[in-house]
Amino acid sequence: MSEPPREPVKYVETQVRLPYHYVAGDYRARYLRALKDRKILGARCSRTGKVIVPPFVTSPESFAPADEIVEVADHGVVTTFCVVNIPVRGRQIELPYVAASVALDGADISIYALIQECRPEEVRMGMRVEAVWKPDGERQGDHEDIRYFRPTGEPDAPIESFINRL
Amino acid sequence: MARLRNVAVVGFAQAPIVARDEHRIATEMLYPEIRRALAACGVERDAIDYQVAGSADYLDGRPFGFVTALDVMGAWPPRQDLHLEMDAAFAAYYAWVRMQAGDCDTALVCGYGKTSEGEPRRVLNLQLDPYYHAAIGLEPVATAALQASAYMARTGVTDRDLAAVAARNRGAGARNPDAQLRAPATAEELLRTPWAVEPLREGYLPPVGESAVCLVLAAEGKAEAMCDQPAWIHGADQRIELQTLGARDLTRSAGATLAAEKALAMAGVGRAGDIDVVELCATTPAEELILCDALGLEAHASSLSPSGGPLCGHPIMMTGLIRLGEAFRQVSGRARARRALAHAAQGHCLQHNLFFVLGAERRWA
Repeated sequence: MSEPPREPVKYVETQVRLPYHYVAGDYRARYLRALKDRKILGARCSRTGKVIVPPFVTSPESFAPADEIVEVADHGVVTTFCVVNIPVRGRQIELPYVAASVALDGADISIYALIQECRPEEVRMGMRVEAVWKPDGERQGDHEDIRYFRPTGEPDAPIESFINRL
Repeated sequence: MARLRNVAVVGFAQAPIVARDEHRIATEMLYPEIRRALAACGVERDAIDYQVAGSADYLDGRPFGFVTALDVMGAWPPRQDLHLEMDAAFAAYYAWVRMQAGDCDTALVCGYGKTSEGEPRRVLNLQLDPYYHAAIGLEPVATAALQASAYMARTGVTDRDLAAVAARNRGAGARNPDAQLRAPATAEELLRTPWAVEPLREGYLPPVGESAVCLVLAAEGKAEAMCDQPAWIHGADQRIELQTLGARDLTRSAGATLAAEKALAMAGVGRAGDIDVVELCATTPAEELILCDALGLEAHASSLSPSGGPLCGHPIMMTGLIRLGEAFRQVSGRARARRALAHAAQGHCLQHNLFFVLGAERRWA
């Protein structure tokens, strides 16, 4: 092969743009719509009775259908948490902040939530927390409708009450 | 041919192919099909040893998108699992190989994906070489048109011939409750449809469609209890060709010829013409004619794709598995075909071809 050109092409730029239009699906649509009314929905497993939040077509654990939609509380217990010291892309949150798993009363699996209105070092497993909603008229039916969770000041829940709901 | 393990298709369930399911995400479409396939086999989820799925993360729009399906596949207690970024027919092939190795006796094979959520032609453009082919905007309809054009030039096949192939499929699809296009169309009607990419008309191409499918495989000893008439796998083979389109003769499918030859030899069948039903994964009429040439079948042979084939419904990543499911229906259902040939293909211009030969009797004593 002859000598390469004196000014070789070193890079090729490829621009990829792929738009997607996801359907919410009936389960998510009901869940998100309910947030607008300050309600949190789950689905009850037809075999085990466990309540899955957000609602889903089946219990991933039992493989049985979960077709009964039920309402769970907007308060519950911190089952595990972490203190985040690195910025998250796309979110304006003051550092450090606490990201937690919260098992809502009436739910058998936990949801992801921010814990605020307390110092990070005060957060602990078993701490009782409640949702702080956006005011009436501002809720859009999306995950931002719950701004965060905050401590209720109630006594901590015993570990046996949430250890299987992490 | 060495004695292999007798493995059969014992169950199949498919969501009817639709342009877009507005009510369910991909996994919600898949879940009821898994339950239906298991119910047809009369077994619970725990009776299944192994699971394989085929889907495409780029069509899902997220990396490792396949893991979302685990929540509907009954993946608890922890299961042996595999995912292929391939048509789910290749997942069936993989499960069959695992059974030959004696690793498992039963397997779930799933295909899913909401093609309508992304733009499949853009996605499949990215499947091509990024420097020369993808960069000039080639996508599957364009590459299929290049292939059709070359085929017409070599063989003298005309626009009218392509229309006749499409019309036969549309007529068959009218009798398939799972097909997306269920209105028959005559060759004259299809000849009047506008060019998509000349020489392919819109009437010669499948619409964008989505579905979810689940097929159950079981080895001898388990299969009999799961199905009144198992469709035993008599032969299977798959061959892939070069990625560089210019390096292949697009008017012939060397890979389909070789894979079919090997699968038929494994099945002890002399020629494809001796098979009662042939389900082809042809996404254009030209591809169907090229596949007929590869198999030594007459165009319009009476055995061809009674389902209407991909021209009546082409849910990407499961179109091939549906061919296997249709072949199972022909052997196991009322049609009582003695033997069926199922074809799957993926890649541009029939790059990768897979054949299964199914039969009503066990292949190996």
